[in-house]
Amino acid sequence: MASGKETYRAELRAAARQLGERCLYSAAKWAAELLVGVEPDAAPALSCAMDPPSSSSATPAGRLLHMHRSGGSSFRPRPRPGGGGGSEAGTPLGGVSYVSTPIPDDDAFDSGGDKYLLAKTYFDCREYRRAAHVLQNQVGRKAVFLRCYALYMAGEKRKEAEMIELEGSLGKSNAVNEELVALERELSTHRRTGSIDSFGLYLYGIVLRDKGCEGLARTILVESVNSYPWNWSAWSELQSLCTSSDILNSLNLKNHWMKDFFLASAYLELKMHEEALKRYERLVGVFRCSGYIQAQIATVQYSMRDLDEAEMIFEELLRTDPFRVDSMDVYSNLLYAKESLTALSFLAHRVFLTDKYRPESCCIIANYYSLKGLHEKSVLYFQRALKLNRKYLSAWTLMGHEYVELKNTPAAIDAYRRAVDINPRDFRAWYGLGQIYEMMGMPFYALYYFRKSSHLQPDDARLWIAMAQCYESDQLQMIEEAIKCYERAEKSNDTEGIALHQLAKLHSMLGQSEKAAFYYKKDLERMEIEERQGQNFVEALLFLAKHYRSIGRFEEAEHYCTRLLDYTGPEKETAKNMLQSIKRLQSGFPSMDIDNFSL
Amino acid sequence: MNVFAGVGGGSAATDAAPAVGTGKALLELTPHKIAVCHLVQVFAPPAQAGGDVVPPFPFESLAHHNRLGLFLFTLTRSCEDFLEPPLEEFLRQLKAVDDLTNGWFCEQLTSTLSALNSPDDLFNFFDKLRGVLTAPEGASAEDIFLDPNSQLGVFLRCCILAFNSMTFEGVCHLLADIVMYCNSTDASYDMAEDENFNNEVGSMMDADIGSQADMFDKYHRGFSSGSHMGESSSALTRAPMLPYDSDDANTSKADDNPTCLRSRWQLEAYLNQQADILEKDPSSVPLNSFNATMTKLRTLAPELHRVQFLQYLNALCHDDYVTSVDNLHRYFDYSAGMQGLFGRSVSPVQDIVVGKYESALLCLGNLHCYFGHPKKALEAFAEAVRVSQMNNDDSCLAYVLGAISNLLSKIGMSNTVGIISSPYSIGTNIGLGTPLSIQQQLLVLLKRSLKRADMLKLPSLLSFDHLSLAKFDLKHVQRPLVSFGPNASTKLRTCPVDVCKNLRLSSRVLTDFGTDVLSTSNDNGSFSTSWLRNLSAATGSWRSSSVKSTKLHNNDFDNFHYHAQPCPVPAPVLQLAGSACLLRATAWEHYGSAPMVRMNALVYATCFADASSSSEMSLAYVKLIQQLAVFKGYSAAFCALKLAEKKFPSSTSSHIQLLRMQILHERALHRGHLKIAQQICDEFGVLSSSVCGVDIELKTEASAAAVANSLFSTCYKYNLQVENASVLLLLAEIYKKSDNAVLGLPYALASQSFCKSFNLDLLEASATLTLAELWLALGSSHAKRALSLVYQCLPMILGHGGLELRARAHITLAKCHLSDPKFSVPEDPEAVLDPLNQATEDLQVLEYHDMAAEAYYLKAMAYNHLGKLDEREEAAACFKEHITALEKPHNEEDSLVY
Repeated sequence: MASGKETYRAELRAAARQLGERCLYSAAKWAAELLVGVEPDAAPALSCAMDPPSSSSATPAGRLLHMHRSGGSSFRPRPRPGGGGGSEAGTPLGGVSYVSTPIPDDDAFDSGGDKYLLAKTYFDCREYRRAAHVLQNQVGRKAVFLRCYALYMAGEKRKEAEMIELEGSLGKSNAVNEELVALERELSTHRRTGSIDSFGLYLYGIVLRDKGCEGLARTILVESVNSYPWNWSAWSELQSLCTSSDILNSLNLKNHWMKDFFLASAYLELKMHEEALKRYERLVGVFRCSGYIQAQIATVQYSMRDLDEAEMIFEELLRTDPFRVDSMDVYSNLLYAKESLTALSFLAHRVFLTDKYRPESCCIIANYYSLKGLHEKSVLYFQRALKLNRKYLSAWTLMGHEYVELKNTPAAIDAYRRAVDINPRDFRAWYGLGQIYEMMGMPFYALYYFRKSSHLQPDDARLWIAMAQCYESDQLQMIEEAIKCYERAEKSNDTEGIALHQLAKLHSMLGQSEKAAFYYKKDLERMEIEERQGQNFVEALLFLAKHYRSIGRFEEAEHYCTRLLDYTGPEKETAKNMLQSIKRLQSGFPSMDIDNFSL
Repeated sequence: MNVFAGVGGGSAATDAAPAVGTGKALLELTPHKIAVCHLVQVFAPPAQAGGDVVPPFPFESLAHHNRLGLFLFTLTRSCEDFLEPPLEEFLRQLKAVDDLTNGWFCEQLTSTLSALNSPDDLFNFFDKLRGVLTAPEGASAEDIFLDPNSQLGVFLRCCILAFNSMTFEGVCHLLADIVMYCNSTDASYDMAEDENFNNEVGSMMDADIGSQADMFDKYHRGFSSGSHMGESSSALTRAPMLPYDSDDANTSKADDNPTCLRSRWQLEAYLNQQADILEKDPSSVPLNSFNATMTKLRTLAPELHRVQFLQYLNALCHDDYVTSVDNLHRYFDYSAGMQGLFGRSVSPVQDIVVGKYESALLCLGNLHCYFGHPKKALEAFAEAVRVSQMNNDDSCLAYVLGAISNLLSKIGMSNTVGIISSPYSIGTNIGLGTPLSIQQQLLVLLKRSLKRADMLKLPSLLSFDHLSLAKFDLKHVQRPLVSFGPNASTKLRTCPVDVCKNLRLSSRVLTDFGTDVLSTSNDNGSFSTSWLRNLSAATGSWRSSSVKSTKLHNNDFDNFHYHAQPCPVPAPVLQLAGSACLLRATAWEHYGSAPMVRMNALVYATCFADASSSSEMSLAYVKLIQQLAVFKGYSAAFCALKLAEKKFPSSTSSHIQLLRMQILHERALHRGHLKIAQQICDEFGVLSSSVCGVDIELKTEASAAAVANSLFSTCYKYNLQVENASVLLLLAEIYKKSDNAVLGLPYALASQSFCKSFNLDLLEASATLTLAELWLALGSSHAKRALSLVYQCLPMILGHGGLELRARAHITLAKCHLSDPKFSVPEDPEAVLDPLNQATEDLQVLEYHDMAAEAYYLKAMAYNHLGKLDEREEAAACFKEHITALEKPHNEEDSLVY
């Protein structure tokens, strides 16, 4: 067991070093975080709680917050069902046997070692072209990679600048990374001659992706991760290229433990929450202290609307890693959904102090303002977030919501539409578009959007209800279609019970009292379980009472009438009258059948 | 970023105000524009102190000078493509203009462009340019200098303004683009100049930067190293993680030519032109390649949302429902309906951004209408009416009303009752308590739309409404809306005068408004485009892309189109006038005047071919071919049909397909090939059921071949009164054929009265003829009455009737005479023989064996009475020939070919 963990550590240690030497910073960061996240051995010297992964020393502010919030949380990383595989000997995770991939030896510092050192320092100072220039005529794989990577980065930087410079009256120009063509040519030659390592393949993959050759890019990236699985950047590039589960399943991946991370995150992206959760829970058995996994689990749980659990994890995460910004926007969404203003303001303050020029930070602040009802300011911060990252999907959608609040419909539609064009599977944005058009009195037009969103998320009752409300609206009055939608909503676990009530109402409107009674009864049962009472409850009782009296089942009718007597209001009087008439009918006409006809 | 426009401060230039906003938005400087600027400078050099020579230096003559001027003018207006031409192409065009000075212009242009090496050179260039516009001191009116308000003057001023508002980075980019622009010249063009260019560059640069690639790098690298501090975290840390937005950039910048868009005005003209092409001839635009072009344009100009509308149109024309709906919604989501849908001009800036989503509904309704979902279309229109009433969008309302009436007249009426009479609908808005019949609602809608269009001065809609009214009058009896009481006079006849009046008004309206309203959209750049295209055609160097566009104008009017002056009438007006003409043809068809039909259809085909849409054009062809079939026989018709099919590939035009079936069917019937006729009927049915669910008329035609009785009920159900008449007549004929004259009589009479009330003269004549035949069949005692009936309808039939009808009339005439006991052949042989000879001639052309046999039989009988045995034998032989041909169809298989 310990040895298994020790291999993980050894692998990750080497990976972090190798990735760092190649200036693949974020992958190195990820590996290092995970390295620290491996569950400590029984030796008591290391405690994960004492050793926050990324920041070496906890600042006073962090401690203070820790103290402040520790009272409420009882979160302990407990072993999860099905995830206990980590402690079993031999096969590390869930009985899957992994292919062990040898850690490649680095090229020893060959003749150009000093130059490489210089190039790396240039690269670290963001002088990309200088770095590339220093490495000219170097043939070592490492040197070739760094030169190409430096060129790529230089091109990206230039592209960013050009995008702003070349903005014309007809919108942003599509500046292109000028280095792509040359890079592709060089890297493909290297690949053909076999003189390319997995890092070079990774770079080749991104270059291809940028050029739009997605299929080939996928193949190359798969090659890269198969030969060097610890490069998380390669995995996440690969994941961004897997836009459907079919593509995901068709990948030919070696069975390394990093694949589990990849699959879990891909499942999360493809909204296959159950599968994602299962995998993460298995992984957390080994990497018990990994902040990344915790954040991902929390995200899954938030997506599955398990807010309390997710909040608990996020709180714990913040306690151990107070300067974390990654995936904190999810946390802010969660706090927004729970309407906990103070927690949200804490969070906003903290990320603001950590790094205010992160899109996530802007998004969190915007969320805070939105919850405060200051929608103009909220829009401002969303705009800032989008300036920092034009493809920040959730910011577009959320900004759409803000514009809706501001009653600026064209801007809201525009924002939603951009979200949809970035990711056509974003059902929230489709739903938002539908809502706006419905608000503008165009239910027929809105139907198209609701249909789209419910197509993407067929088990979401809210979407079906929205569609039904369109059909039901004064303008369309397509009751049959509305009933169909409500039925669908009712089947897909409608928590608010709107569907049942509306179904009952619509059926009674159409004169189908048998069906109406059925739904009213169901609705009543639901309300009884949830211990909710109100106008709907009274309405259901009244209808049922009337219905049973009219078909001559007086006992049931009496039952509902007596229950109605508990409520004040005009219904009480009606119930009283009804009871009397029932009594009269029962005494006057002993035979039920005759009553039935006489009514 | 455009989303934020109009929000809060709304400082950025919005979509809606592209041209009138900031100066920067007017146009963007590109190498091509610099080249044009240079030429303008050559064309109108800055005034010198000394006396001016009248044609300035390089020009040989005034004509030469003007030619360059015209060339420059068209360059700023042409809209052939959305990208500016590369230098090579430009030089080629220039050479065509400049054949007198041996390429002096070209040399001068390339050397000037290649001399622009530093930002300062550009500054100096524009300084000099400013001199072109300022009139010299003491200049008199005759002196040549550029009027700042002329087209070229405005262009020059825009360029100078754009340069002045340019940032230093922009200037650097422009320089880099110019270098690329110059390098893109094909090496084969002129080696000497290329070398010259290299040398110049070399001398300007430091010695160690030799190659052009390095020079290009210099521009790009020049100011990037200084900015590394500002890019704090974003570029470095996220670069490997996040997908940069270059996914869709792969299409652009494929070659080393800078992809420079034309000015916004030219882009919009280009898009309009493409839309026209899509309407005129959708088959010439391949779905995917057009989409690729549009996608490319969209990546270059992401805020030009009209592109999405074109993509929608493209998908619509190629019957791609899903894509067209997607694109429609996308377009309106982005543009909020503000990028001028009506009138095709940019709508004036509004203070408050509200969006005109009602026009989206209008389009959606039209889409559903096009794909044959009348119910959905009506829902969309009803919503459009509501929203435009809510938003006070009167013009949209007028258009929607027009669209609804169009839809109502198109679909069968019976199935709309449920929708239209629902409480929110249009029907009850009129304030009449009583529910109206659909026709009346249609009429009311039309009148409302007409009134609104008149008020709002929307000439094309007005004209369209007049046309629809004419259509309505053609087919329906106008009843007063409120017909209570005894004094409501009920004259139940259609009113041809109304039809004529509306038709005339429809075209009148266009000329009335033409001068002020429509002329704004007159100059759409198409003239400039074709001028330029002509130029390149003249020099014999077709670019590959222009091959596509020649195909579009591949009709007989190519020459007309290319060399003439720009057409003074804008295309939409022409189109409406054309449909008026076509409708006139239809009206005459109904009223039974063949020559008028022919004439109007011919006028349409010759005069309005340029502006017509493919469906209307094919309709005109169909009418002409039908006329041919009826009057000239089938062989002529099939010849014409072949031509027509070449012009309209059968996949696109259901009109032509139907026509082919119809003619084949008739011919097969006449020849007696019943099996084939049956087969064609089946095909007919399939065609009509699948293609368009809207077109009930097709359905009636199809089932006409099947069962006449159910047909009548269909017609009755859908209130197609006019078709009723012909169906009744058909019933009568069926009874006549089955020797059941007594049963046939009432149908014939009913048909006749229908015809009377709808003014269907020719049909009435043929009904009368059938009536006569029926009387005749009842016995010889009725011959007298039959004869009088035949005489009554004869003038009409001989004047306007087709071959078959005429032959029938002749035969009936002869038959009447022959069966009349008081008539003896020897006394007046001509009375019988003349019509019979005429009939046999006509029938020979038609290959109508059945009737030809009958005619010959009668002829033989007549000769028999006269005692002319030879002639009798001859006639009898002919009779036999036709009978055998009828009984033994020897060449059934070739019936389907023609």
